[in-house]
Amino acid sequence: MREGPSISRRSFIKLAATAGAAAAIPGCEPAARKLIPYVVPDENVIPGVPSFFATTCSECPAGCGVVARIREGRVVKLEGNPADPIGQGSLCARGQAALQGLYNPDRLARPQVRGGDGALRSVSWDEAGKMLGDRLAAASHAGRDRVAFFGSPQGPTLRKIALAFVGAYGSSRAIFYEAINQEPARVAAKTLFGRRALPSYRIDQAEVLISFGADFLETWQSPVELARQYSLFRTPHERHGTLAIGRATYVGPRLGMTASKCDDWIATAPGAEADVAWSVLNVLIKQRWVTQNSGLDLAALTRAVANFDPAATSARTGVPVETITRLGETFGKADGALAIAGTDDSSAHLAAMILNAVTGNFGKTVMFLEGSPAEETSTPDEVDAAVDAMRGGKIDALFIAGGNPVFTMPASARIAEAIRKVPFVVWAGGVPEETAAMANLLLPAHHPLESWRDTAPRAGIRGLGQPVMQPVFDSKPVGDILLAAAAGSSSAKLPWASAADAVKAEWLALAPKAGGADPEDFWVSVRREGGLFEEQHLAALSLDASALKAPAPVAAQPELSVYAYPHLFLYDGRGADKPWLQELPEPVTQIVWDSWAEIHPETARKLGVARDDIIEIKTEHGAIEAPVLVESTVRPGVIAVPLGQGHRAYGRYAKDVGANAWAILAAGATSAAATARATGKTRTLVSPLGKSDMMGRSIVEAMSIDQLARGVVPRSEAEEVTGPFEMYPPWKYPGHKWGMTIDVNACTGCSACVTACYAENNVPTVGKDGVDNGRIMSWIRIERYFPPAAEAAQAPQLYLAPMLCQQCDHAPCEPVCPVFASYHTEEGLNGQVYNRCVGTRYCENNCPYKVRRFNWFVPEWPAPLNLQLNPDVTVRGVGVMEKCTFCVQRIQFAELNAKTEDRELRDGEVVTACQQACPTRAITFGDSNDPASAMMRRREDNKLRNYRALEELNTQPAITYLRDLYREKGKA
Amino acid sequence: MNRIVLVLALSMLVLGGAVIALSQRPWAPRADVVQPIPFSHRVHAGVNQIPCMYCHADAGRSSEPGIPAVAKCVGCHGNRIAGGGIQPVTRAWTDDTPAAFEIQWNRVYTLPDFVRFTHRPHIHAGLPCQTCHGPVQTMDRVVPAFEINMGFCVDCHTEKKATLDCVGCHH
Repeated sequence: MREGPSISRRSFIKLAATAGAAAAIPGCEPAARKLIPYVVPDENVIPGVPSFFATTCSECPAGCGVVARIREGRVVKLEGNPADPIGQGSLCARGQAALQGLYNPDRLARPQVRGGDGALRSVSWDEAGKMLGDRLAAASHAGRDRVAFFGSPQGPTLRKIALAFVGAYGSSRAIFYEAINQEPARVAAKTLFGRRALPSYRIDQAEVLISFGADFLETWQSPVELARQYSLFRTPHERHGTLAIGRATYVGPRLGMTASKCDDWIATAPGAEADVAWSVLNVLIKQRWVTQNSGLDLAALTRAVANFDPAATSARTGVPVETITRLGETFGKADGALAIAGTDDSSAHLAAMILNAVTGNFGKTVMFLEGSPAEETSTPDEVDAAVDAMRGGKIDALFIAGGNPVFTMPASARIAEAIRKVPFVVWAGGVPEETAAMANLLLPAHHPLESWRDTAPRAGIRGLGQPVMQPVFDSKPVGDILLAAAAGSSSAKLPWASAADAVKAEWLALAPKAGGADPEDFWVSVRREGGLFEEQHLAALSLDASALKAPAPVAAQPELSVYAYPHLFLYDGRGADKPWLQELPEPVTQIVWDSWAEIHPETARKLGVARDDIIEIKTEHGAIEAPVLVESTVRPGVIAVPLGQGHRAYGRYAKDVGANAWAILAAGATSAAATARATGKTRTLVSPLGKSDMMGRSIVEAMSIDQLARGVVPRSEAEEVTGPFEMYPPWKYPGHKWGMTIDVNACTGCSACVTACYAENNVPTVGKDGVDNGRIMSWIRIERYFPPAAEAAQAPQLYLAPMLCQQCDHAPCEPVCPVFASYHTEEGLNGQVYNRCVGTRYCENNCPYKVRRFNWFVPEWPAPLNLQLNPDVTVRGVGVMEKCTFCVQRIQFAELNAKTEDRELRDGEVVTACQQACPTRAITFGDSNDPASAMMRRREDNKLRNYRALEELNTQPAITYLRDLYREKGKA
Repeated sequence: MNRIVLVLALSMLVLGGAVIALSQRPWAPRADVVQPIPFSHRVHAGVNQIPCMYCHADAGRSSEPGIPAVAKCVGCHGNRIAGGGIQPVTRAWTDDTPAAFEIQWNRVYTLPDFVRFTHRPHIHAGLPCQTCHGPVQTMDRVVPAFEINMGFCVDCHTEKKATLDCVGCHH
């Protein structure tokens, strides 16, 4: 051994530390921070004070209104627009996460051209524009219809621009593509009523609801609006002399979030929902539970349902006869009933519509409105024709703007092959995805939040989308790119110079309709309101009697089938580039950052696999691999796989996560016959979940509607609560004492609150490994528990409730903090002072609710994601504990407002981020010292349903929950 | 023996370095900053008696007091004054394509990122600006009059019976 210099490890560390300190001394005085004045101040901008702009959401076709909060020129939060009749002030998780699409670090920064070797080269906008113009001109010289537009629907004005664009180059090929469309519903409406319009729903006007595979609380049609209606439907109220809640039944292969909030889940194989629907209709007609004036020919209807005798349907689908007859009876006898369908075959939709029609519910729980806007999406036939034209070499230039067809189109469409046949493909968008990977020219397009656009989600509602900030990247609006390209054509005569002009012109044309207001005043008012919202009248319906032909029942179900459903957060795949959505646990499975194959324990036994084993799922269209999740939340013989993951591109957050379930489906289908085999590989499905069983503790509580009607308070098996026990004098709250009331019955588990909290409070994401190591940072989460099998009849299907800091009076976290970082505020909050915290994590260990989060790493927001950070909230550093603050910055803001206006704080002036986002208004926040506050009144009005989480621990939480309500199984 | 001395000396150095490093809080008010324009608060606020909030107009309605826009300077001065180093202002105003961010004032008062200070309630409570900023009207170049640390805030809050709740400023 060589004799080294005589310096021990200890001295080395000391030396190194000195060198570090010496290096730090001159550097510890950073350059002074800068203050940069305006040349001419913007009259709407006061640094430090937020401004708000009304705009519209573009994350799904529901078209909710949005109010964007802007600080110093950048948007920091999206909330629902209270003036908008659809969202009514709420916004789902996907809508709120649009911010991370805007600030996504992987957005295309400048135009790029793909060279012969496939490599991308950056070019200037001028060069790109010239190239585009030349290629388009060449294509149009080659003949008619050689230029095509293929994009996602972005509202009526962009549609006109796209049509003008292709028109300028002698073409009429413009396709507006939406992977998840409502085609089966439109086909059914066309068959029955001769119109391809979609109806509007009023779940709150019904007593009984049956959903045939429609995930109306998750992704179906307009989830925010329907969730709000559903919570009203489930609110206990007097009916027929007793307290009642609406009765809901879900028929479909998987117990998703929607099914879990219904009274009953009737597990059918995918595709068998229609059979059950027609059978329910059979029961209604046989029992004559029909109105006489529905306009339907009963004799024809009787013939149509002849094949769907409950016994026959039961034999085919495995659904018990009594279940079907009971469904028919409750539906037929109800004063207001609604059947909806969300399956991929139009026959279930047709049956649901007839069910509503024969019971006289059209115009009451479901309605067609006069003046429905023009259909936004192209029909599947039109899309197929366009893809065929590409494949046939009939298109020379293709402009793609949204929709990501290469990812979302089923394998059977062979879209990639078709695009390869097009000599020149232009792609305009944000984060380059699979489709961009095939383009010759890539153009950075404005995010919808940076562009002028409009929406017409349904009759009477027009949303106006205005840009809420200056563009983040060197991008252009899609409309402007199209118009500039069109203007280059010699034949063009365009009415507008830009998309902004086009939107304004289209809207000014509406001014006379709105009571003849001055056009400029009108323009100001629609921008302020976020659109034009008018009452609409019911459309007169005429039924086509010849439509009353039932389909031939499908006799045999495949032994094993795969059922693919849109992921609650990732939807058709567009949400996958947003870390908030990737890290949001899907409420029923609680899985993050992955795809999974959900199978019943019985199926798992047959396949010989356990949780985390990767299986290969093969259909006639393709094969994917995904880890298995074994739960009884899916029917035996069905493999349920969420759509949305499995991107091969689409930025760092989406790439190579999970598997793409679109690749194994046929066009327009959500299920397919499949085979599955174990691959021998495993991958851990990551979830922040602790236990799925409450072990008898009172975390989420429920009571039956009977108990509520009889005034019986259920006692959990947990230790009897002996009342508040005080050892020290109680806290005194001379001013406010903040508290919260959370109605578990209204909570659907949609997690809008969780995303709102991430946005408001600068909560970082930690990635899959971080979650696996228990380092998820969410301040509020959705707790999910399964009822024990023995109690399943006296319990809701799933226990779902938000869990956040309970702001205890006897807070276990406070006395264990050695440095008083965790302390009790004078308004009853469990304060957490970040700059005092030394990171012992004693508080986290002592918290029975497990709501405290520790920063194991320096949180990261790769630029420009950091632009989203809320300047009113400290960004916590490594080694610091953090937790829900009841949005103390909002409390401060409201209190200072009141103070500077010399008045008392009003009830409802402080709205926490979670409360604001909630589509069902499950959360109320307010002052416990004020018995008249809405929060306290809600407790008082629902006295029997009050409970506090883990009350037996005597933590004295400031949050009171209202018990979930369920209907005892087997009771009418 | 030598080694012990060496280790001791090094330890002293480490300790000393740490003390210096820790005592130099990067957010402490700075007396050494040089501004891009030799703007005199004495002339404006002292001699000419211009109220503070004529220029720092947002102090009463925002967390930030606001730095006056170039338009405000030009409002009084017009384009005439050319001397005294005001060129950056006139250039920003008269040039059709002004250099981006030409005028960059250096902050004299900064607070650490974990403190949320809001001017509005302090102005509303009737505190003169000088309470925290010192006799600015006598200064040609603004230098800090007080070291704004937590003690400085808490003393005043105690005296005025304002909130002493930690989360009032730390959230």
